Amino acid sequence: MALEKVDLTRVKPYGDTLNDGMMQLSFTLPIPYGDEADEAARRLARKMGLEEPSVVHSHDLGVGYTFFVVYGKCQHTVNYEEIEVPKVDVEIMSKYEVEDFIKENIKRDVVIVGACTGTDAHTVGIDAIMNMKGYDGHYGLERYKMVEAYNLGSQVPNEELVAKAIELNADAILVSQVVTQKDVHIPNLTELTELLEAEGMRDKIVLVCGGPRISHELAKELGYDAGFGSGSFANNVASFIVKEIVERKLV
Amino acid sequence: MLIDIIQNNYKIISIVGMGKNAGKTVTLNHLIEEAAINGITIGITSTGRDGEGIDLVTGTEKPSIYAFEGTYIATSEKALKLGDAKIEIIKVTDYRTPMGKIVIGKVRDAGYVQIAGPQTTKEIKAISNILIDFGAEVVFIDGAINRLSSAAPSVSQGCILATGAVVSRDMNKVIRDTLHAVELFKLPEVKEDTLRILIKDIIQKENISLIDENYNVKTLDIKTSLNSGKIISQHITKSTRYVIFPGSLVKNTIEDIVKGSRLIKNVTFVVRDGTKIFVGPVDWLRLCRQGLKVKALNSVSTLAVTINPYSPQGYYFDQREFLNSMKKHLKDIPVFDVVHGGEYKDEIYR
Ligand code: B12
Repeated sequence: MALEKVDLTRVKPYGDTLNDGMMQLSFTLPIPYGDEADEAARRLARKMGLEEPSVVHSHDLGVGYTFFVVYGKCQHTVNYEEIEVPKVDVEIMSKYEVEDFIKENIKRDVVIVGACTGTDAHTVGIDAIMNMKGYDGHYGLERYKMVEAYNLGSQVPNEELVAKAIELNADAILVSQVVTQKDVHIPNLTELTELLEAEGMRDKIVLVCGGPRISHELAKELGYDAGFGSGSFANNVASFIVKEIVERKLV
Repeated sequence: MLIDIIQNNYKIISIVGMGKNAGKTVTLNHLIEEAAINGITIGITSTGRDGEGIDLVTGTEKPSIYAFEGTYIATSEKALKLGDAKIEIIKVTDYRTPMGKIVIGKVRDAGYVQIAGPQTTKEIKAISNILIDFGAEVVFIDGAINRLSSAAPSVSQGCILATGAVVSRDMNKVIRDTLHAVELFKLPEVKEDTLRILIKDIIQKENISLIDENYNVKTLDIKTSLNSGKIISQHITKSTRYVIFPGSLVKNTIEDIVKGSRLIKNVTFVVRDGTKIFVGPVDWLRLCRQGLKVKALNSVSTLAVTINPYSPQGYYFDQREFLNSMKKHLKDIPVFDVVHGGEYKDEIYR
């Protein structure tokens, strides 16, 4: 079957024909289940710019709230061709390649301290990067030869993280931030940068943040050396850290 | 005009903010324009990212940066490509950022530029000096988010603090937080020469130390004051007069010292400058009432405070009330409303 050619400068959602704009939303309204609720959901979708919205599913949540699934036609397009997302620009090495790289170029153990900081209690992300068993078939940093990895866990205050990094003479700090509601992660992440500056440490350390809503571009603004989003593995981060140590002459 | 305060007096100026969308870039644009009118050659760099149109965090529109012919800029390779000004690259540096190496350029044809400067304050300082060497008379360092470290006297000679409704829905809170930042910036300097020499030496060696009434220095064997308040307090004796902190001074450290020693009323804490202090306004006030005294080796000169009465969250303050209360509280520091500046010229440009 020959596919119709997509105009990448005007991309629209696909339902069952190209450019039909069909999309699906799901949300909850704090109103009781019923016909009025469906109508409210429909009107809301129309206000959002969806044409011909239809409520294909609604569900009583029990406390006077209703859950909806709504279909509608999106009228907007995006220019895919003008999009450029900065990514961590480093040749990714495997665990073994990283280990060899350390042996040849750094010639000593690399100390990495990580934590999920502030009020954030989501440890799975930082564990995926640091813990022995790793994530999705990629071993964590604790398993790397010539890497001393310290995972401080969750809800670690920035002060404690910095104190630990100083105590251990760390080469790199890894911070995980998963909760981003009301942008709480932003002041928490900048506080760490500022604290490291105040301690005269910023130039001596590789500073990396990660989490599902962290981008490399955001990391720049926060004052970090790199930002890793969803689907990152220990070897991605390790490749960046070890090369950065060499390039910045922190060996 | 804002530039009048700067011209001939300062070479490196940082623009720092109390938060995102506080008006740092709008302030920068004012300065760029005023400099152009006065025929001053400027250099521009940033600790974050500027001029990209849409804010990364809030998704709101951000002001663009329009650079005039002859302006020197320090930005990253990737950000350089995103502007439409015609720029001659005069140097590619070895300073690296997540958006590529820092390049120094000279604007040949005026237009919009995107500025993404180096990551650390040491590098920012080095880059600012490069801009001056190439011919910039004044360098503006635009800050990022709520990061204040580029206001440190080791980086810039003066700062402009941008604040606004974005800090809080409660105008009194905005004023309180802003005053607190300014108060830390202008911490009194240690004046006595003998002491300054001792303190400079301690700070350079990066050792937390105590100075007694006879100018004897005692150096503590700790690498940081973080988590070490208790240890520090144990070394404070009746004759201790100063505790010198070469790095940060955070709330918990102060709290632990105050808890651990009854002698702090005779002691003055000394930091490099106010950007090294991490204590909120409420705690600061309480600790000062409990007898805390803090001085700085160098205070930060706040040349002006700019205010933005609008928040991207959709609310705004009464512009006159906001401006007047801020002026009343800040007394000797000029306050400019960067949004309505033009409208109330007489009142604002005093
Ligand atoms: C498990 C979970 C929890 C558990 C956490 C248990 C634990 N020990 O971690 C519990 C039940 C405690 C929890 C609590 C809360 N949670 Co929760 N939680 C989740 C859930 C279901 C999965 C998160 C997860 O483990 N993902 C798997 C890991 C592997 O992915 P990851 O974190 O993205 O990590 C990867 C990358 O991002 C990156 N990475 C992450 N960190 C780092 C760090 C570095 C240095 C690097 C290089 C890379 C990196 O690498 C990792 C591997 O690829 C998500 C929803 C979802 N499906 O995502 C919600 C979610 C994260 N939680 C959410 C919320 C709101 C909460 C609560 C506030 C709920 C409440 N109202 O109380 C609390 C907050 C508690 C707190 N103080 O933090 C929201 C966050 C919304 C937002 N953006 O702010 C989510 C998205 C759910 C939702 N849709 O609303 N939660």
